[in-house]
Amino acid sequence: MNLGGAIRAIISFLIFVVLHYTLRPLLGWRAPMDFLILALLLASVRVRPATAAVIGFVLGLVSDSLAPDALGAGAIAMTIVGFGASYLKAVFFADNLVLNAFFFFLGKWVFDILYFVGEQRVKGVELLQQLLLWSPLSAAVTAAVGVLLLFMMRPLLEPAPA
Amino acid sequence: MHRTLRSNTRFDLIVLSTCIVLALAARALPDTMREPVATGMRRTFLAPLVMLQESAERGRQSLLQADAKQAYLDSLSLGSMKARSLESENDRLRKLIGLGSQLRWGFVPAEALHGRGVRDETTVILSAGSRAGVSRLSPVIAPEGLVGVVDQVDPTMSHAMLWTHPDFRVSAMSPDGTAFGIAQAHLTGATGGYLIELRGVPFRSTLKPGSLIVSSGWGGVWPRGIPIGTVLQEIKTSEGWARTYLLRPEVNPADVYSVMILRRDRLAKGFDGVWQSVAQADQAAQRIVVSGDSAAKAAALAEAAARRAVIDSMARANGAAPLGATPATPEATDTSAAAVAARAAAARAAAQRAAARRAAADSAARRADTTRRDTVPRRDSVRTDTIPHRPGATR
Repeated sequence: MNLGGAIRAIISFLIFVVLHYTLRPLLGWRAPMDFLILALLLASVRVRPATAAVIGFVLGLVSDSLAPDALGAGAIAMTIVGFGASYLKAVFFADNLVLNAFFFFLGKWVFDILYFVGEQRVKGVELLQQLLLWSPLSAAVTAAVGVLLLFMMRPLLEPAPA
Repeated sequence: MHRTLRSNTRFDLIVLSTCIVLALAARALPDTMREPVATGMRRTFLAPLVMLQESAERGRQSLLQADAKQAYLDSLSLGSMKARSLESENDRLRKLIGLGSQLRWGFVPAEALHGRGVRDETTVILSAGSRAGVSRLSPVIAPEGLVGVVDQVDPTMSHAMLWTHPDFRVSAMSPDGTAFGIAQAHLTGATGGYLIELRGVPFRSTLKPGSLIVSSGWGGVWPRGIPIGTVLQEIKTSEGWARTYLLRPEVNPADVYSVMILRRDRLAKGFDGVWQSVAQADQAAQRIVVSGDSAAKAAALAEAAARRAVIDSMARANGAAPLGATPATPEATDTSAAAVAARAAAARAAAQRAAARRAAADSAARRADTTRRDTVPRRDSVRTDTIPHRPGATR
């Protein structure tokens, strides 16, 4: 990735992070989209797995800082999701919107599973309800929003022509 | 090549393991340490994001509460509108009570019910009838003055002709009795509907704009002294032998809601001083309010002057400039020990000088008192024209 592509990727990443702290609380949905996961996935497919793991760790700590009781849970989940996304980028990340949507859905769902299991705040039936109902819904919304944003930000995310 | 790839994979796994270990360490932190760590991050590099989130949350709350706030504002607006109408109604009723206390007896309070027909402006239904003592040709009055006269009476309600009716007439005069005439509605188109004409005023009698016109008591229907209106201007008519004046009515028919119907037996007793007393009561209330304001203002001024005098005297006692005086030099505001001592010494010296001046003035006054006036040589005792001049000297 050349310098221009890196700058565009960083700008996209920052846009997603800002959206996470503005649009998401403004909408206040029960199954919210997760712009931090989208940012992590889009960054992970552009860097090597070690860097993706560090980005995931930092993003996880950022998200955990607003919920101190779960400090570390988000960091673990995002580290694994970022590393996995970067490791599997050759398989999943292609110029296909459906594949990208599935990639976002899977990333968000895996994150939620890791997060809620690691957080240990929700248990029993409520945990099952969260992981099998609300998390897939949230993952679906995240995937839809991610595809929409990919479509809108295509000029920013595509590599510059040689 | 293969070795480099394997090395990279190993490096990735090491970084991944490190991140996971750090995250687990963060997860395993005791509660007493989690909060400081999270708070530190929130207050430093995450502060802009936290601020953005707070703004978004407030925006969402505003959106959610917008409907409730709008409903609340609507309720407040409705309440304020009702409050205004209640205030005006309260004022009207208070005046009516004042008039009732002046009349004392012989009247029937009633509500005026306005119709919605063509003749709205000229007639009105009253909520009192013959059972309450109302009879035909009973005068209808309001605290402001004349309203109309009852022309039909039912047992429980009656029908009144307002002064705006084309057939309505009342004998009127100026309060001093110098001008008499007949008051009737001024029927010149839509704009003149709420004005009164005073017709048949003798040509020798002139009325100034602003003069009050009251009922004269002639004719037996209306008692003497009920306000009708104030003179606006004289208008030209074809009657060359008398003057006609345009009056602004005291009572607007559209604002008539609560009235009093005078019983026939009350008319014979007279109404001298009733409206004057009502007006005097209003004026007295206004004077009380004004005098209360003046007294409060005077008390505030006196209190401010006393406070200023106390502050000035304290400032003089401390050797500082009085309130309102600007310090002459920077030393005046210096609070060091040397500056304070210097100011104290200067104050003592000034006090000694003032004492010396007072002593000198006292001794001079005593000398002046002990000297006989006739022994003091008069300054003008020498005429200047007797002084010999030296040639060439200027005078």
